[in-house]
Amino acid sequence: MTAKEFGGVVLNAQDVSKSFGEVEVLKGINLSLSTHEVVCLIGSSGSGKSTFLKCCNLLERIDGGSIELLGHDLSHEQIDENEVRRHIGMVFQSYNLFPHLSVLDNVTLGPRRVLKMNKAAAEQRATELLERVGLAGKAKEYPERLSGGQQQRVAIVRCLAMQPRMLLLDEITSALDPELVSEVLELVKDLAEQGMTMLIATHEMSFARDVADKVAFLEGGTIVEIGPPSQILKDPKEAATKRFLQRVIASGR
Amino acid sequence: MEATEARQFDSSQNAELSLYKSSRPRWRGRAGTVVSTISTLIVIALIVGLFLTPSARAFREGFLNVHQMWLAFKGDPQKGILSVGKGFLLNLWLSIVCEIIVLILALGVATLRLTRDPVLVPFRGLAIAYTDFGRGVPVILVMLWVGFGVPSLNIPGISTQSPVVYAGFVLVFSYTAYVSEVYRAGILSVPQNQIQAARSLGLTSRSTLRRVVLPQAVRNVLPALLNDFASLQKDTAIVSTLGVAEAVHAAQIAGGVEFNYSGFTIASLLFLAVTIPLTRYTDRIMAKDRTRRLQGTPA
Repeated sequence: MTAKEFGGVVLNAQDVSKSFGEVEVLKGINLSLSTHEVVCLIGSSGSGKSTFLKCCNLLERIDGGSIELLGHDLSHEQIDENEVRRHIGMVFQSYNLFPHLSVLDNVTLGPRRVLKMNKAAAEQRATELLERVGLAGKAKEYPERLSGGQQQRVAIVRCLAMQPRMLLLDEITSALDPELVSEVLELVKDLAEQGMTMLIATHEMSFARDVADKVAFLEGGTIVEIGPPSQILKDPKEAATKRFLQRVIASGR
Repeated sequence: MEATEARQFDSSQNAELSLYKSSRPRWRGRAGTVVSTISTLIVIALIVGLFLTPSARAFREGFLNVHQMWLAFKGDPQKGILSVGKGFLLNLWLSIVCEIIVLILALGVATLRLTRDPVLVPFRGLAIAYTDFGRGVPVILVMLWVGFGVPSLNIPGISTQSPVVYAGFVLVFSYTAYVSEVYRAGILSVPQNQIQAARSLGLTSRSTLRRVVLPQAVRNVLPALLNDFASLQKDTAIVSTLGVAEAVHAAQIAGGVEFNYSGFTIASLLFLAVTIPLTRYTDRIMAKDRTRRLQGTPA
């Protein structure tokens, strides 16, 4: 991969902590993302990857530390969470398309109701995006008629239609049949090449190696080790990272 | 794998397998058709036979007298018999007007019960108390309470309304409690991740409710909603306790004057004529919605 040029800081997390009741899920996360940068979070289930992503678009509130989006403090008491979310797209493990709406209506809901675009303009943008991912023919279909891979690509398009500043991808291939994984990952790689800033929680190590500028290994709510994928995945310094990667290799990923 | 001796599992072990039912199927093919025809004929013969017994004649005369049904249906002013048919029109429009009001109010009550807005917390408590009360007290009791109690209070403007207004109020009061619980179940049946997806797009909680949660919630509980509508439609009969000239009250009068209760039969038939198509229609809507979403197989 050729060296990428990064722009200014998009997301800056400092010493972020978060508890659910007694359980401390995040214990002092420090992470910074620059424009065009792709960071992959790896680590076992329960390590706090998902919770951290949800803190970044305020689906969860942090208890301590700070997260800044483009210089704005997300913990500020006057922060408008809806304003924050329209600039950050989030894709979920279980796609979460709206089953009562057609593919086209899924994609245009945000632009029409949040960006207040008129129907024709929103549909035009949606159709262009669906064409780009090869799903223009499915615009009138309902999500349940699509394969998992197609649904997840629609979910990504639904985010792109909002013209977000960055994307949060939360284990977006974990619910897919193995043969459908690559069509989704290829799309994410395309987005990376086109300069989308992305924070990705993933179990796909080879994907992380291909797409990430930085890989961060999380365990017990902290970032144990962070660095370029070539170093973290091939030559980890920390014993915990080594143990995790060995388990992943043993499971055939 | 280890050597054969070490294997613990063996599909071809010698124990006897019995994969067959102990009895043979009783009827197959042509024999089945013949048997089902015979049994149907026997059942029909039994029913017809029952109708020919002396007691059944009294039943037919008292309940199924076509002449009496017609008399009750159209009414007879000279005999003081009110028309069941005209009365039923009152049942119909009362149930429709009430249903519309119920559907709107119940949605409000359901959202109040689910709200986390601190300003609305006291209303949430009220909403819970109301649904408990409205669902727990029999409709007929509330009907008597309001229908006879309120006029006795001599409150200007309220105690002088017509019984139809009291009746409508009571039906709305009771059914809003039921229907709000149906809505609430529907809203709670929408997965949390749908709400997260909507909020992640930047939709406000209000638009999320309107565009994402409610459309799915209502689809999920449509049969229950229509069930309650059929039930409300039937319960308009309770209005007869207030002496309103609806179908059941008219049938009661006809029965009293003629000493024949076929009027109740015609009233029942009128209710059935509405509720049966209503339930069939619900089934069709549901089936259509399902096929629309699931036509064909994923590519």
